[in-house]
Amino acid sequence: MAEPLPLAKGEAAIEVDDARFRYSASGPEVLHGVSLRVAKGEYLAMIGQNGGGKTTLAKLFNGLLKPTSGTVRTAGINTRDATVAELARTVGYVYQNPDHQIFAQKVRTEIAFGPRNLGLTPEEVTKRVDDALDLVELRDYEDAFAFSLGRGLRQKLAVASVLAMSPPVIVVDEPTTGLDLQGSRSILDLLSRWNADGRTIIVITHDISLVAERVPRTVIISGGNILADGPTRDVLSNADLLQKAFLRPPQVTRVAQRLQQFGIPPNVMTVHELRDELRRALRA
Amino acid sequence: MPVGYSIYLERPSYIHHRIDPRTKLAALGSVFVLALAFNHPAVLGGLMLLLLLIAQVAQLSWRSLLPFLIGGIWFLVLGLLIWPFYVQGGPKLFTIFGNPIYLNGVLFGLAMGLRVALMVLAAGIWMMTTSPQKLTVGLLRLGLPYKAGVTMTAAIRFVPLLNAERITITEAQQSRALNLSRGNPFKRAVKSIAIIGPLFIRTIDLAQSLALALEARGFAARDGRTSIVSIEMTNIDRVILVVLAVACLVAIALRILGIGLISRSYL
Repeated sequence: MAEPLPLAKGEAAIEVDDARFRYSASGPEVLHGVSLRVAKGEYLAMIGQNGGGKTTLAKLFNGLLKPTSGTVRTAGINTRDATVAELARTVGYVYQNPDHQIFAQKVRTEIAFGPRNLGLTPEEVTKRVDDALDLVELRDYEDAFAFSLGRGLRQKLAVASVLAMSPPVIVVDEPTTGLDLQGSRSILDLLSRWNADGRTIIVITHDISLVAERVPRTVIISGGNILADGPTRDVLSNADLLQKAFLRPPQVTRVAQRLQQFGIPPNVMTVHELRDELRRALRA
Repeated sequence: MPVGYSIYLERPSYIHHRIDPRTKLAALGSVFVLALAFNHPAVLGGLMLLLLLIAQVAQLSWRSLLPFLIGGIWFLVLGLLIWPFYVQGGPKLFTIFGNPIYLNGVLFGLAMGLRVALMVLAAGIWMMTTSPQKLTVGLLRLGLPYKAGVTMTAAIRFVPLLNAERITITEAQQSRALNLSRGNPFKRAVKSIAIIGPLFIRTIDLAQSLALALEARGFAARDGRTSIVSIEMTNIDRVILVVLAVACLVAIALRILGIGLISRSYL
């Protein structure tokens, strides 16, 4: 049973209404009538198996794909009525593999590409690039050869190049793939900081424990449907629900659930929480 | 049979399974010779019909041939746009911007379009009816070094792979507000660097990983590997090869005699 959808409050950043999608007229339907509302300033994670439709859904947000039926509105604009380049002002999309977008020799030029495409003045472009460099802590590499950066730094560069366009909504597709823990954390710290700045963040990931630690709202996508949508704590502690999408609660939550008879709540999300709960239980 | 990412289409046809890949390669070469030997649209049109007949025998659907036919139509249009201004002779048809257009010019344009279309269609049919594995084995028997054979099939396998990469890269750059459909052709060419750059890097990357993966699995550890695919020249193959050889020789003779040509002064 999917949980009742808690409607995100506030103005909508993205509204998907009964969107169906197939890649070709004769092909299978990949999304079966998905509805999702993301309010401005939300931080949302989309999780689920490979091939479940996460990336397809995310590509509807910035008009890379148009729904076969149903509507997708981004900041109130129907994506059918705008080009991807126009929607890029509103929705930034960071690809899973940074090598799909890096083409400039210098780190600076790479970051400046998006802002230039937006037709900003040279001064504004320079400012945006400087800000982005500082935000992702790539200042020391601004004149480095973009391709020679390590994987983690290239991922940061890809993120910075989208950030420099300053879109109010940012979709990040599996930002932690192939990164070590430090690299993953620094990318996720960045996402948290942007979110604190009032941006809407949608992150696609397989890293359940990172979602549990940081992301307030979780959507499970499975077989082209939204299986669950709600506060991360509720979604990720519901083992039966997760099982349907071939997922498991975070390890620390599973430990907590085994310790339920000792008075530990079953929806512990982080190690810190578990420690506090254990301390409380031991004192009691 | 695993076919990887090639345009090979598995069909239970005689052409697919009974004819040796070496024979099919010779047939492809012969089509090239024939297409170049004549420049009369009637002859080339006849060859085109023959190719379409072969495609039918090979049970290739019209749908799978469509991209090649559409490409062929483009070459026809291009031929008709260019050649009538250069080739004269025959009755005068009409005048465009003070340039008289003659019948022979139009026919020659048609022939040039058909010629390229023939080559493209022949190559398409060849690739759709010859599995990459059999092709490699065939080329190895013809004396191609083993490494070169693998390189060639790998290259064929890479085409759709790189196309998928190109689509992803285009999407990524569009998401960064790159608008490829705006601006004059020169500006658009400059803009496409944002696509071509990453595509090159990805290609080199893929090639390098493939090389490493091959070596990690003992590639070329010893010479003369056996293959699960066996090929054999049969009498049918020999008959076809003789027919092809005769056809090529006759075509060259006719060329020298000036038969089947619109113009002797152009190829």
